[in-house]
Amino acid sequence: MDFFERFAVPHPSFLIYASMVGIGLTMIAIVIGITYFKKWGYLWSEWLTTVDHKRIGIMYLLSALLMLFRGGVDAIMMRSQLALPDNTLLDSQHYNEIFTTHGVVMILFMAMPFIMFFFNFIVPLQIGARDVAFPRLNAISFWLFFMGMGLFNLSFIIGGSPDAGWTSYFPLAGNEFSSSVGTNYYMIAIQIAGIGTLLTGINFMTTILKMRAPGMTLMKMPMFTWSAFIANVIIVFAFPVLTVALAMGTMDRLFGTNFFTTVNGGMDMLWANLFWVWGHPEVYILILPAFGLYSEIISTFAKRNLYGYKSMVASMVLISLLSFFVWAHHFFTMGQGALTNSIFSITTMAIAVPTGVKIFNWLFTLWKGKIEFTTPMLYSMLFIPLFTLGGVTGVMLAMSAADYQYHNTMFLVAHFHNVIIPGVVYAMLAGLTYYWPKLFGFMLNEKLGKWTAWVLSIGFVLAFIPMYITGLDGQARRMYTYSESTGFGLLNMVSFVGAAIMAVGFVLLVYNIYYSTRYASRDISNDPWDARSLEWATHTPVPEYNFAITPQVNTTQPFWDSKKNGHQLFKGKIEKIHMPNNSGLPFIMGCFFFVFGFAMVFSMWPLVIIGLIGILACLAYRSFEKDHGRYISVEEIEETETKLRGAKQ
Amino acid sequence: MKELFPLKQVMGFVFSLILTAVALLVYFTDMSFSVGMTVLLLTAFIQAGLQLVVFMHAGETNDKKSIYTNIYYGLLIALITIFGTLLTLIWDM
Amino acid sequence: MKVDNSLPLEYSTEENSLKILGFWIFLGAEIMLFATLFASYFTLVNRTGNGPTGAEIFEITPVLIETILLLTSSFTIGLGIHAMRIGNKKATMAFFFITLLLGAGFLGFEIFEFVHYVHVGATLQTSAFTAILLTTLGTHGLHVTFGFFWGLFILLQIKKRGLTRETANKSFIFSLYWHFLDVVWIFIFSFIYLKGMM
Ligand code: HEM
Ligand SMILES: [Cu+2]
Repeated sequence: MDFFERFAVPHPSFLIYASMVGIGLTMIAIVIGITYFKKWGYLWSEWLTTVDHKRIGIMYLLSALLMLFRGGVDAIMMRSQLALPDNTLLDSQHYNEIFTTHGVVMILFMAMPFIMFFFNFIVPLQIGARDVAFPRLNAISFWLFFMGMGLFNLSFIIGGSPDAGWTSYFPLAGNEFSSSVGTNYYMIAIQIAGIGTLLTGINFMTTILKMRAPGMTLMKMPMFTWSAFIANVIIVFAFPVLTVALAMGTMDRLFGTNFFTTVNGGMDMLWANLFWVWGHPEVYILILPAFGLYSEIISTFAKRNLYGYKSMVASMVLISLLSFFVWAHHFFTMGQGALTNSIFSITTMAIAVPTGVKIFNWLFTLWKGKIEFTTPMLYSMLFIPLFTLGGVTGVMLAMSAADYQYHNTMFLVAHFHNVIIPGVVYAMLAGLTYYWPKLFGFMLNEKLGKWTAWVLSIGFVLAFIPMYITGLDGQARRMYTYSESTGFGLLNMVSFVGAAIMAVGFVLLVYNIYYSTRYASRDISNDPWDARSLEWATHTPVPEYNFAITPQVNTTQPFWDSKKNGHQLFKGKIEKIHMPNNSGLPFIMGCFFFVFGFAMVFSMWPLVIIGLIGILACLAYRSFEKDHGRYISVEEIEETETKLRGAKQ
Repeated sequence: MKELFPLKQVMGFVFSLILTAVALLVYFTDMSFSVGMTVLLLTAFIQAGLQLVVFMHAGETNDKKSIYTNIYYGLLIALITIFGTLLTLIWDM
Repeated sequence: MKVDNSLPLEYSTEENSLKILGFWIFLGAEIMLFATLFASYFTLVNRTGNGPTGAEIFEITPVLIETILLLTSSFTIGLGIHAMRIGNKKATMAFFFITLLLGAGFLGFEIFEFVHYVHVGATLQTSAFTAILLTTLGTHGLHVTFGFFWGLFILLQIKKRGLTRETANKSFIFSLYWHFLDVVWIFIFSFIYLKGMM
C-alpha cells in the first residue's frame, strides 16, 4: 500500500472525488465509443500520426477549447468563493490550488494552443506554402504540448495540484512550504510543453523566412503572418529562459540543490527574475498574434487596405525587442534600488508607444472604411476601447513608485484580465468565427455570435472593472476570503455576477457551435467574407496540398487583387506535389515524455530511466530512418480539384 | 594531403590557440580585475566571431542576412538578460 | 524535390537549406539557454554558503587540457566538412572519427574534474554556487555527450550510405552544433574558470 499512498490527493474534497469519477467515466465512455464505432484505426492513421499542419492545428484548437472550459470552471469557483465575505465554499488550500491551476491552464494550455492553432492553420495558407518547414517536428511540438497539458491536468486527481501561484515564487514553491508533489507537476509539465513550444517557434520562423510564395517579400506579408513571425521570434528567445528556470526549480525540489532556497547561498529572488525574463515576453507572445488577427479582420470588414502597414510592422519589431527590456516591472517592490526601478519604469512606458501606434492604425483603417458589422468585427470593435483601458492601467502600474500601492492587489488582477480577455480571448473568438468556414465548410450563426460577444462583454465589464476599485481600496490578490468590515462585499458580488454572465457567454458559444453544425448551410463559397489574403484563395475544405498551383504574389493583398484588379494568382499548370509521410514517432515520443514526466513527478527513478531511454531511442531511430516523403500525382490532384470545384461555387 | 588542410582553417585554428594563450595571461600574470576582464572579454568575443565566420560558414548563402540577424539578436537579448539580472539582483540590490 | 547542383551537397535541396537555417535559429535559442545559465552563475558565484569558492576548487591543468581538446576537435570537424565538400569520403570519415575521439577525451577529463569536485566537498547540494557551477558545466557536458552519439550515428551513416544529400546535410548541421559547443566552452573557460582563478 505504501507505494500507492503517494498518489493520493493530500487535501481531498467532495468536488475532487466527484471530478475523479467524472473524468474516469468520460475516459471509459470515450474508449468504448471509439471501439464501438471501430474508429481506432481512423484515429491513428488520420490524427495521431498526422503531420498535416491543418490537422495539427485542429488538435490544438480542441485542446484549447477543452482547457478554456477547465480554466473557466476554476474561475467560477474562485468568484463564487469571493462573492460573499467570510465565505466557506472553498478553504484556503483549495483556493490556492485553484488560482494556481487557473493561471497556468489559461495562459499555457488555453491561450498558447489557441494561438498555435492559428499559426498552424493560417500561416502556411497565408504565405501560399504546402506545409510548414518541418512537418514532423510540428507533430512533435504538438504531442509535447499535449502530453505536458495532460500531465498538468492529472495533478488534481493524482498527487494533488500545485498551489504556489502560476508564478510559483520560491521559497513558497520549495519543498519546505509546498511539500506535496503539486509543484513538481508544475515544473515538469510546463517544461515538456515548453520544449514543444520552442520547437514550434523554430519551425515557424523558418517557414515564414523561407517558404513564402514567389513575389511575397517580407514587406508584402499579410499582417497576421507578420505577427506570427514576431511572436515566434519571441518564443525562440524567451522559452529557453523558462527551460533553465524550470530545470533549476526541479533540481531544488527533487535533488536538494540550493538555487532558490534561503540557505547555503540560495537566492529566491533569482527565480522571480528568471520567471519574468520569460514571463513578460510571454504576454507579448500572446497578444501579438491577437493583434494580427484583428488587423486581418478589421481590414476585411472595413473593406480597406490596412492603414500604415509599415508602421504596423515597425511597431511589432520594436515590441519584440522591447519586450525583453521590461521584465523587472513585475517586481518593483522586491527591494532593488531606485535606479533599476526607474530604468524598468521607463522601458515599460516606452512599450506602450508602439502599442498605441497600432491602435491608431486600426482606427485610421476604420475611418474611411465601409464597415460591415459581422461577429468578428464586433469583437474587434469591442476590443479597441476595452483593451485601451487595460493598456492605460498598465502604464499606471508601470510607474514604479505608484506600483507599491497597486502591486499584488486586485488592481493588478483587473489590469491583466483587462488586456488578456478583450485582447487575447476576443481575438481568439473573433478569429475562430472568422476562420470557421475555412475549417469546417459552414459558418457559425451570426446572431448567436453577436449575442455571445455582447454577453461576454457585459460580463467582462461587471466582473473586472470593480476589481480596479477594490484593488485601490486594498483588497489583496490570492486571498481566499475577506471580512465583512472591509466593505469589499458588494463589489465582489458584482464581480461574481459578471463572471456568471461570462459563463453564459461561453455556453452560448458552445450552443452556437452545436446549432450551426446542425442547421447552418453547407452551401457557401470558398470566400464567404469577401476577404483579401491567400488563405481564402483555396478550396474549402482545404485539400492536403493547400494549393494545386503555387500562387504568385505582388502586393500585400494578392487575393483581393485577383478578384478586383485582374491579378492572375495561379500561373502555369499542375505538377506533381511532394508531401511528407505520416509518422507515429512524434506520438510515441510524446508518450515516452509523458512517462518520463510522470515518473519524475513522483521520483520513481527506474521509470524515469525507462522514459528517458524511450525518448533517446526515438531520436536514434529518427536519425537512421530514411523517409523521402511521397508524391501526389497530377491525376490525383486534378481529380481532387474537380471534385472540390464541383461541390462549391 | 595538402588540399585537406585549407590555409584559412589552419590559420583560424592557430589564431584561436593564440587567443587562448593570451586569455591565459590573466591566470599567469598579475592583473587588476578590470584589465583582466577586458582581456577576457576581448579574447572570448574575438574567438567566438572567428568560429562563426571561419568554421561555421555563417555568411556563405543567401540566408546570410537571416542568420546574422538571428545571431546578433540573440546576442543582444542575451547580454540584456545577463546585465539586467546583475543590475537587479547584485549591483543595485 | 528541387535540386540545385550549383550549391554544395548539403544545401542542394530545398529541404536541406531549410534544415540548415532552422538549425541556426535553434542555435539562437541555445544562446539564450546558456545566457540564462551565465546570468544565474554570475548572480550566485559569490553565494558559497558553507562551501568552497571557485578559486579554492578550480585547477588549471585539466581545464586547459579540456580547452585544447575541444578547440582541436572544432578544428578537425571543420576539416571534415571541407573534406566532405571536395568529395573525399575517407578523409571526411577520418576527421569525424578524430573529432569524436577528442570529444570523448574532453568528456573523460570533465568526468574526472567532477569527481575531483565531489572529493573536495563541492557537490550539487553544497551551495548555490556549486549547484550553478555544476549545472552550467553539466549542461555543456550533456550537450557534448549528446553530440558524441549524434556524430557517431552520422559517421555510421556516411560509412553505409556514402556522401549523399542527406548525410552531407546532417554532417554540416552537426558541425554547426559542434562549433557552437566550442564557442560556449570558450565563454565557460574565460568567465567561469579564468575569471574565478584571476
Ligand atoms: C501597455 C502595455 C502594458 C503595460 C505598460 C503593462 C504593465 C504591467 C505592469 C507594470 C505589471 C506588473 C504590475 C504589478 O505586479 O504590480 C503588469 C502585470 C501583468 N500584465 Fe501588463 N502591461 C501591458 C500590457 C499587457 C498585455 C498586452 C498583457 C497580456 C496580453 C499583459 C499581461 C500582464 C499580466 C499577465 C500581468 C501580471 C502577472 C502576475 O503578476 O500574475 N500586460 N503589466
Ligand atoms: Cu510585464
